[in-house]
Amino acid sequence: MITLEDYIVLATLLFMIGLYGVIVRTNLLMLFFATEIMLNSVNIALVAISNYYEDLTGQMFAFFIIAIAASEVAIGLGLLILWYKRHGNIDLNTLKSMKG
Amino acid sequence: MLEKITIPLEALNLPTLIPMLIAVAGGLTILVVDLFKKDLDKSLYIVLSILFLTMDLGAVFDLELNQRGFFNVMLIDGIAVISQIVMIIASGLFILFAFSSQRFHEYRYPEFFALFLFMTAGFQFMVASDNLILIFVGLETASLSLYTMMVLHNKDKSFEAAIKYFTMGAMAAGFYAFSAMVFYGLTGSVELYKIFEVLHMRGFEPMILVLVASIAMLVSFGFKLAVVPFHTWGPDVYEGSSAALAGYISVVPKVAGFVVVIRIFEGLINLGIDWIEYILYGIVVLTMTLANIWALVQNDVKRMLAYSSISHAGFVMAAIMIGTTQANSGIFLYWILFAFTNLGAFAMLWVSHKRDAKYHERFDHPFEKFSGMVRLMPVGAVMMGLFMITLAGVPPFSIFWGKVYLISSAVNAGYIVLAIIMVLNSAIAAYYYLKLVVHMFLKEPITGRDGSVYMANASTSLKVVLGIAAFFTIASIFFVSPILDFTSFYMAMSGF
Repeated sequence: MITLEDYIVLATLLFMIGLYGVIVRTNLLMLFFATEIMLNSVNIALVAISNYYEDLTGQMFAFFIIAIAASEVAIGLGLLILWYKRHGNIDLNTLKSMKG
Repeated sequence: MLEKITIPLEALNLPTLIPMLIAVAGGLTILVVDLFKKDLDKSLYIVLSILFLTMDLGAVFDLELNQRGFFNVMLIDGIAVISQIVMIIASGLFILFAFSSQRFHEYRYPEFFALFLFMTAGFQFMVASDNLILIFVGLETASLSLYTMMVLHNKDKSFEAAIKYFTMGAMAAGFYAFSAMVFYGLTGSVELYKIFEVLHMRGFEPMILVLVASIAMLVSFGFKLAVVPFHTWGPDVYEGSSAALAGYISVVPKVAGFVVVIRIFEGLINLGIDWIEYILYGIVVLTMTLANIWALVQNDVKRMLAYSSISHAGFVMAAIMIGTTQANSGIFLYWILFAFTNLGAFAMLWVSHKRDAKYHERFDHPFEKFSGMVRLMPVGAVMMGLFMITLAGVPPFSIFWGKVYLISSAVNAGYIVLAIIMVLNSAIAAYYYLKLVVHMFLKEPITGRDGSVYMANASTSLKVVLGIAAFFTIASIFFVSPILDFTSFYMAMSGF
């Protein structure tokens, strides 16, 4: 029997994986994947909680998060392509003309 | 077979949505105009934006206080109305920056102005709701438009800045979603008043989960408001975007962020959760002090102003933490005064912006650029000096009154140590503002330069903006009391 706790634990683990990815990845594309993992892990938990309370709000929230994640990726990929056209790579370590 | 649901139109209370709808309609109008007639001059789009912002402002003034609308998702209370007024007026003044005499890449595109209006609508949705879903949607609408507007500046540095801002923003969105999920799991609701009700009823058990949710929310808004230790993107973004947009970023998005932080964290503090207060205390002290120390070592005026606005945000966070009625009315007083002064400072940087001019291998506005400015252009130097000493909090200019009010609210609420830290920080801050004044008034000008450098980008509209900012800064002593009555009235109406 899969209980609510299992879903929440799964979602938290996925969130941690996403957060780890955001922190350690230097490839921009991989970094965007990691942020997607963060948002989608929350979706799993929201739907599970929504089912537990028998309340549709959580599923609605999940749909909004899916839409927001999609538009975020659209902007992110646009930025990535711009950077690639100018510099020929998508390495985060090349973004260091400004510091201090 | 599902039952048919009918909802009467009156129950939606659509008037609560009118201000945002005007802004969205304005953005769409600009796009449609571009569809029919290409290559129109930017001044048409600027005027259209100002027109729609004015109508938006009128609609906000027309709102009745303390009502809900649209399935109780919209909440029009005093704080929602006053923050919308501040944001729309500031947006209207900052869009005037587009009337520059030089041509810039971003203003050639009508999409820039459409995105600007969509962003305004996003911020308005964010402040006019206590539903976590709508706050999230408004936040992301506004942020995504802002990243795009930064990139339209079309410089290598602005791409870098936008990617940094985007990455941090995406991470903040993840934290926000996680926090909202935990609150929903704990209470079965995404509406803040219901969340507080259930949490209070249950005596905050399980405490550990409330802690997790609050910390995630704090991280998320820490990134959005650029408080230490989540500020790392801030100075880079200011350096990478144009002075006009940097000025905007330093004022308007932060108002929206503050409102959500007030709604969430003052709710939690008022319910008597002490450790949130301790965490906020730490963040406030770190933000004020460290940002000031970093500002001391900057070589670029724009980066210095970035750290200075982080430090000013720390002052306002202190007021949010104190949470008394006096502190809360002080928040908006402080931010209105700060907005006008910062408007002036960034306008001065913007009028001195000259394309392809090299002052430094990296910076557009190094301190050396302003050396001896008083010999070459006395009026400009006096204006810039005025904004700098105002930001430093010298009486009788505007920010001084905001600082006095916030510090007195800290003393009245019994936070003596915090008040002392605030005063000390004002003293440190004076050093780096005066550094620019020293450069302008006491150093020799770089040889072979005339005063036209400082007005390379000026136009009549920009001079008007500068005049408004300077007038407001000097004459603020007469405005402080009416503004305070105004903010106190609205804050009292929403029960803060």
